[in-house]
Amino acid sequence: MTDPFTTLGLPADPGLTTEEVRAAWRAIATATHPDRPDGGDPATYAAASAAYTALRTPWGRSEAYADLTAARIPHPVPPAPTVISRASAPPAHLLTAARWLPARIHHGRPARLALRLLAAAILAVTTAISGAGTPAIAGVLTGIATWLLLSARGDLAPPPGR
Amino acid sequence: MVWALRATGRVIRWLVLAAVLIAAAPVTIVTAIAAGTAWLRGWPPGRLRRAAAAALLMTLAWAVGLAVQSSGRWHRLASAPWHTWDIAWHDALTGHLLAAAVLSAPVAVPAGLIIAAGLWAWRIYAIAAGLTGRAVSAPMIFDTRQWRRAARTAKARAAAPGAVPLTDARGRLVIGTTIRAVGHRWRPVLAVPYEDLGRHQVIIGASGSGKTTLMMRLWAGWFTTAWQRYRAGRAARPLLAVLDCKGGPDARTKAERARKLLHAAGAARVAIWPDEATLSLWVLPPAALATTLFQMIESGEGSAAFYADVMAATVRLAINAPGGPPTSAAGFLDRLAPGWLEAAYAGRPAELAAVAAAQPHLGAIALRYRNLLERLGPSLDGPGQLADADAWYFILEGTAEQSVAEAQAKALTELIAHAATSRTSPPRVILLALDDYSAVSGKVPLSNLYERGRSLGMGVQVSAQSWHGLGGDEDERYRIAATADGGLWLLRTPYPQPVCELAGTRKVIESAHKLTGATWGDEGTSRLQYAWTVDPDIARSLAVGQAAYIHAGGCTWVHIARARPSPLALTPTPAPSPVPGPDGPGTRPAQPIALPGPPPAPAQPPSPGDLDDAFTPRRHP
Repeated sequence: MTDPFTTLGLPADPGLTTEEVRAAWRAIATATHPDRPDGGDPATYAAASAAYTALRTPWGRSEAYADLTAARIPHPVPPAPTVISRASAPPAHLLTAARWLPARIHHGRPARLALRLLAAAILAVTTAISGAGTPAIAGVLTGIATWLLLSARGDLAPPPGR
Repeated sequence: MVWALRATGRVIRWLVLAAVLIAAAPVTIVTAIAAGTAWLRGWPPGRLRRAAAAALLMTLAWAVGLAVQSSGRWHRLASAPWHTWDIAWHDALTGHLLAAAVLSAPVAVPAGLIIAAGLWAWRIYAIAAGLTGRAVSAPMIFDTRQWRRAARTAKARAAAPGAVPLTDARGRLVIGTTIRAVGHRWRPVLAVPYEDLGRHQVIIGASGSGKTTLMMRLWAGWFTTAWQRYRAGRAARPLLAVLDCKGGPDARTKAERARKLLHAAGAARVAIWPDEATLSLWVLPPAALATTLFQMIESGEGSAAFYADVMAATVRLAINAPGGPPTSAAGFLDRLAPGWLEAAYAGRPAELAAVAAAQPHLGAIALRYRNLLERLGPSLDGPGQLADADAWYFILEGTAEQSVAEAQAKALTELIAHAATSRTSPPRVILLALDDYSAVSGKVPLSNLYERGRSLGMGVQVSAQSWHGLGGDEDERYRIAATADGGLWLLRTPYPQPVCELAGTRKVIESAHKLTGATWGDEGTSRLQYAWTVDPDIARSLAVGQAAYIHAGGCTWVHIARARPSPLALTPTPAPSPVPGPDGPGTRPAQPIALPGPPPAPAQPPSPGDLDDAFTPRRHP
């Protein structure tokens, strides 16, 4: 059975408000109601109504979310400390972090981050054209990158699970 | 003559210092900027030291670059710093300031920062010890000003979403941004080890001081880490039980907020009792059930002890009757009839004699229990179990109906203790949070519950609006607070002294100066003094959201960040396929929780009237 959140085109979020759920149901119901001149879509209307019935109260949303996540929770398996898993851990971690980066920027403080990046870029360009010689330029660029990495973390949304 | 020599020496000293400062102008500039920023923003020296450590990467990259450029000619490499310094000065004098700045930065930045940290530390020490300052009140003015600036900086930092996640990479609970650390190592954010919540914590804060924000953050952080440990197979499934002992509309709002947070932290099912979910008191083992039922009723002392004994014996007879204990309130009340007990114990003379002895009182006992169970309602008579949810938010109407709430608290704490020790259900890692428990502590003194939680391996978190709200008498309050080995949280409260005493003192140097007229003379004394680790004046005047975390002989003043779990937690992710095999805690299908009365989500489809405005009669053919 399709989960009621998907049926109403809503994210699986128990924190949805009753108004949001009702608005989603109304949008579907208005478009698919059997009383429409074109006959509507009774099957979709019935499914949307059932989903609305399930999600119309905070408790119902909590229950539906619990049912949804219960199927997603894998059986906890003690980690196997093998050589392969240790060797592959850092790249996998980096890849995961990179995958989440756009979403973390979007949900964080993108304007501040953009300003920070702009400042870093201006400083980096200024350093590069300063004519101070490669070692010093490398050092200052490293400093700018360090500052950016350390300070920009605050502008990103926390990674998933934190 | 002597005067002239002294003056000359002083002038020479200043000239040498000026020459050094000018020669090392880049370092001087960085030092001045860093120290000034630390003063303006209330930073501690530790912050500058951390910045200096990070800036060493610049020096490292510069040194590697030099090594590559010198191609193994070590004499060139050895002379490179001096050579670079020389070129930088040459560039500066010829108007190439940018090149000079870049050339000197890899050494000047970390050096300037570390010198600034040293100077700033000395300045703070000198002011605090009374060694410097223009006025006698300088230490107080300095301290107040730096607190204000540090608090402002911490508040701004707490607003950055990524600076204060619920947990850090090591699973520690991030609480907020540090304002000041006394006896603790300063870190930009305060992160509490997850294990500390497995012990006992006490939270004291007046209404509106940010206590709820702190508790929510602790619950969400604890659940996040506990859930991840469970997912990794390193611990049992977590169970958070919150007893909101004041009740009222505010409790419902808090419960909804907690539910959203806990869902985001990973909780699959969050039950709000008694509004949406019920529990069954009758799942308790017979002995515990009998004791609980007896203690739920006011039995009195002195001459009333006789009747209390009769009642206890009767309840035991009803619970321990052949055929097993009752499974519902109605079943229990049925057993309090003489006929039922005599039939149940037929052929057992000893028990029948006890029934006969209790018979004159059975009617009164049954009446009292009928009254109690009716007042409790169906919330403890449902088929639900604690294991059905990951988190329970219990709302007890301790303000409106204290006696009922006390009985409920007794039953609920027994159920939680049973869940902690039950061998029939999967083990759970339990955190029991008691919010304003003193409102309902008539049946179970908090200190008893506290000790019991310790022996059962549960984390117990106790909150109160004041020191006096912690317990009925001073002895109990000290027993609770002094055993908070997971830490003690102090928010704004008008009477913080007992907590400050528990936090202890620290050694400080206090200097006295001889006054010459209205100014300080050049003679004085210094002596060792003891000062509060937790300054009661600061505790009394804390702003909303500021708290002191007292632990291990130190105190960290912190600005609590509002709990905002990662918005990515709810982003749809590919659902991991359930692992086939024997049912483990992770594959156990979620069981529905029994609801009191009619379920809030009606089974009927939405009323067609909801769409009346969309389908007016004109639209029908």
